[in-house]
Amino acid sequence: MELRTKELFNSMFLFALLALIIFNFAFAGSMPKSVLAGALWVAFLFASVLGLNRSFVKEQDKGCLEGLLLAPADRSAIYFGKFLGNLVFLLFVEAVSLPLVTVFFNRTEIVHHPLELAGILVLGSVAISSVGTILSAITANTKTRELLLPILLFPLMIPVIIGAVEITAYIFEPKGTIDQWLRLLVVYDIIFVLVPYVLFDYVVEE
Amino acid sequence: MANEAIAEKERNGTAILRAEGIVKQFGSKRALDGVSFEISKGDFLSLFGPNGAGKTTLLKTIATIVQPTAGHLYFDGESVTDRSIFLRAQIGFVSHNYLLYDDLTARENLVFFGRMYGVVDLDDRIDFLLDRVGLTGRQHDLVRTFSRGMIQRLSIARAILHDPEILLFDEPYTGLDIQATKVLDDLLEELKKGRHTFIMTSHDIDKGFEHATRVAILARGRIVFDAPKDAVDKDAFAETFWQWVDEK
Repeated sequence: MELRTKELFNSMFLFALLALIIFNFAFAGSMPKSVLAGALWVAFLFASVLGLNRSFVKEQDKGCLEGLLLAPADRSAIYFGKFLGNLVFLLFVEAVSLPLVTVFFNRTEIVHHPLELAGILVLGSVAISSVGTILSAITANTKTRELLLPILLFPLMIPVIIGAVEITAYIFEPKGTIDQWLRLLVVYDIIFVLVPYVLFDYVVEE
Repeated sequence: MANEAIAEKERNGTAILRAEGIVKQFGSKRALDGVSFEISKGDFLSLFGPNGAGKTTLLKTIATIVQPTAGHLYFDGESVTDRSIFLRAQIGFVSHNYLLYDDLTARENLVFFGRMYGVVDLDDRIDFLLDRVGLTGRQHDLVRTFSRGMIQRLSIARAILHDPEILLFDEPYTGLDIQATKVLDDLLEELKKGRHTFIMTSHDIDKGFEHATRVAILARGRIVFDAPKDAVDKDAFAETFWQWVDEK
């Protein structure tokens, strides 16, 4: 469906790009590396909310969630499918945005350590997608879901964003240590992939 | 009347589905208040009831979409409380909601759900079903372009894709024109030959009686009438039904 409509990708990508453009011009084209790290993660987090808000909309609005619940399989498979879908969309948006930022804003530090940067993008995106997917399922039934999801998501994302920004800033400009932030992100990812696995049945139950 | 019917079933001993004291509570509201019934393999149970009686909730409970607050459900004599995945493989559900994706074509929807059920020789099965429901010519069109009748036919194809033992229909005639009603009638008659077991909820007593081998009334969350169709006079049944509707 997404390949046909490109609805999610277009909105997420354009939002991320626009946010980064605004950040770039706000600093008159000379954004410090530490601020660039924060700008990237703010752009990706807000773009992810656009995607996460739509995560269960088609199932909820057309009753297709019942069709998925009828499947002869563990219902957590629905969560993992949605989580992986959201993760892929977010990683794709990041993969497309970063080269554009590098070229148009002349931010060569982005390409100096591509593997490390890819690693932190995956760690941070897993956290955003895992928490965001379960919260999207919880808020999908509410009338104010588009308002409620970010209200629930952002506080839970604080440790992730701080850790991701610190590690990304370190990649751009090594200073201090990041071991504690790496451990935090890894543990956070493990917990918030496993907890929804246990809870998803109760979330979707009528 | 409900107890006599259950006693008859116990004597015959061919129940494929048995519900005992099913209760479903949503907050302070009891949608199902101790529903008990049995249905034999090959039966067609037409379930009537006023709006809000709990018919949809009962079907969703049997389909394991909704977990009962209390009570037990048995499939082929075994409790399905811990085997809901197994039971879901035996059930096809045609709901109020289409359970179809608007942005996918008819064929893509069937491929998606067919893979979900692990249907063997899926392409051949889809070709057969699309032909059977008269949608071969529209298989590559998006579902959002379909009429209500076409969507209902595709919903039935989706529900029987994995050849389930039990078919649940939630007011399938609602909103259908004469042509679509005829197609649905023919489909149900053909499905009945395959020895599926059916539970159909309906407001239409004529349609319900037409297909049924058993008729029942659900009112205020309970089965208040349950009997073989042949033992029931349709007009008397209709009178009983409307009494319960008026009492609601």
